[in-house]
Amino acid sequence: MSFSISSYIPLSERDLWNDIKPIPQDDGPNPVVPIMYSEEYRDAMDYFRAIAAAEERSERALELTEMIIRINPAHYTVWQFRMATLLALHKDLEDELQLMNEFAIQNLKSYQVWHHRLLLLTHISPLDPSSEIDYIHQSLLPDPKNYHTWAYLHWLYSHFYTLGRISQKQWQAELQWCEEMLRVDGRNNSAWGWRWFLRVARPGAEKGKDGLEDELKYALKAIHSIPHNVSAWNYLRGLLRHFKLPLTPLLPAILLYTSRSPSEALTCPEDFNYPGPPTPLPKDTPLPVPLALEYLGDALIEQGSNSQAGEVFSDLSTKYDKMRTGYWEYRRRECVEG
Amino acid sequence: MADITLVQQNTFKRNGHINYFIRCLKALPTAAQGSDSNRITAAFFCISGLDLLGALYERTSKEQRDGWIDWIWSLQAPSGGFRGSPFMTTQNDKTSPAHIPSTYTALLTLSILRAPLDRLNISGLITLLQSCQGKDGSFSPTPGDEVYPNEGFQSDVRMVYCATVISHMIQDFSGINVGLTKQFISNCQTWEGGFASRPGIVEAQGGTTYCSLATLSILDRYTSTPKSAIFTGYKDTLRWLTSRQIGGFQGRPGKLEDVCYSFWCGGAINILGHSDMINNKADRSFLLSAQFPIGGFGKEPEDYPDPFHSYLALAALSLTHSTNDDVGLGLKRLDGIWNVGQDTSDWLKEEITRIKTR
Repeated sequence: MSFSISSYIPLSERDLWNDIKPIPQDDGPNPVVPIMYSEEYRDAMDYFRAIAAAEERSERALELTEMIIRINPAHYTVWQFRMATLLALHKDLEDELQLMNEFAIQNLKSYQVWHHRLLLLTHISPLDPSSEIDYIHQSLLPDPKNYHTWAYLHWLYSHFYTLGRISQKQWQAELQWCEEMLRVDGRNNSAWGWRWFLRVARPGAEKGKDGLEDELKYALKAIHSIPHNVSAWNYLRGLLRHFKLPLTPLLPAILLYTSRSPSEALTCPEDFNYPGPPTPLPKDTPLPVPLALEYLGDALIEQGSNSQAGEVFSDLSTKYDKMRTGYWEYRRRECVEG
Repeated sequence: MADITLVQQNTFKRNGHINYFIRCLKALPTAAQGSDSNRITAAFFCISGLDLLGALYERTSKEQRDGWIDWIWSLQAPSGGFRGSPFMTTQNDKTSPAHIPSTYTALLTLSILRAPLDRLNISGLITLLQSCQGKDGSFSPTPGDEVYPNEGFQSDVRMVYCATVISHMIQDFSGINVGLTKQFISNCQTWEGGFASRPGIVEAQGGTTYCSLATLSILDRYTSTPKSAIFTGYKDTLRWLTSRQIGGFQGRPGKLEDVCYSFWCGGAINILGHSDMINNKADRSFLLSAQFPIGGFGKEPEDYPDPFHSYLALAALSLTHSTNDDVGLGLKRLDGIWNVGQDTSDWLKEEITRIKTR
């Protein structure tokens, strides 16, 4: 309830609405979690109920729904009504997209805002989605880990690829943009996931040995630049798992981070051509790197050296990653019990 | 990383939390307008929170609870399922359709309140689920139509989880295509080992990983996969989940701790049968530090409380610190898959059997 003097003019005092009889919310005698609505919201909803009941498709319905979603961007029924009205009135959906450009910035976390945008793009169906891609790239700048924005970018590329509207050049440009995102913040896990899509998962992604070698090198270089970067390690492990490759051949590239002597970690092939750590290491790199020890442990299991692997996991459990003692103990026991 | 030996011991503000939920049930501030279409879910957080605290019967009257039950029944749509709130004041299912997450929280809340479920339209519920499932196995929050097709942005593993739990509650899976649903979830697993919201989406997240594992655990039991075989293929998921603990839990690598992920990640680890891998001490001290001075929990320390984080904090604590725990927070034991007190899920199973054989 608002007792402040407000400049808000109730809809009942506006000519545009004087033919409508508002319908108040019927919350019954025992409302649970009732909300102290603002005057504007309550008023707009009273009129929305009336035009929704009459299934009115009109300009003023668009004004009213805009008023409500500005206050409550999660109101799925209002969004649905708005989309149906836009389509029924054959409105220019480019105008709606413009409105959404402004709207999205304030409501990046609303599912409904993104869903509405997805439907708009489906209807507009531009022959070249570049300007939409540019817009999404822009909107990731202030919030580079927004889950919805990345999900939408994924939809955008998937949808327009299916329609045959993403050129080879666009895929290339997207990869460059993604690399720039990772250059700015090598720990941006979303950007790593986007790289995975572009390089591995997307339909038409480059298959074959050369591409894979490049990816392994890319991940290793990222590890060398930030040795404790969990995303880069996960990416490396993801590649090896996905392509069913052994961990052992890459050990020489990361052994330094385990603070263990090479003799323990066995064979280093002579023709090893993967990037190694910088010498000297950046001063702010605490050693050992638990992620490297984990890698070593898994490689040792791969080689059948279970008891050595068990010692590595034991070190993680008792010394280097005590937050996860339970997990490392479990890994150690697996080694001992076979 | 927090040194757990140095973290100060916070006391559990039981009375504060009880009062917080009671206040919210009476009124939510204007700032909560964004939840207007999902009030039943806010109500679930408050009522289930009181229940986990063991205070529901101690602090509310029968008259109050009967009033709440009436309000929830008023949300049942004529053709089946529940709306999120009475915001449309209409019985027209087209302008005010039933909503999958609201149906899930409405059924749980009625059960916590031990409301006889004779009025539940089970066949309508099944029809609702059928009309929400898309060709890819996902579920939309409301039935799809020509304007709002099924497989949209919101048709993700959260909806699949709710639809699966609803089927599990009514002991009838004919509303969902089980094979397609399982396939959809499998397609959500990412390069990291966790699960994303939809297939191909770039990264895993704690909440979507919980929803995925809970769904699989229900559906695999339904298809009588031997219990030991259910999660043998999920070692990478377990690794990803345990790696999210940095004191409390983060939802993704490189993000900050957030109270809700103590439940989403901790709950998912629990589903995999490894709750012993949660560092309880570190998790508890983070959760307790996020208590608001006069009750409730915020997303992180110093944040204002909301019903969502307040409930999930209790649910997380209940998973690892229920009544028989030596720390003794006095919380009820949780059904970690339905996310409600174990006694309530036991009651609901019996109640559904009763109304089906009546």
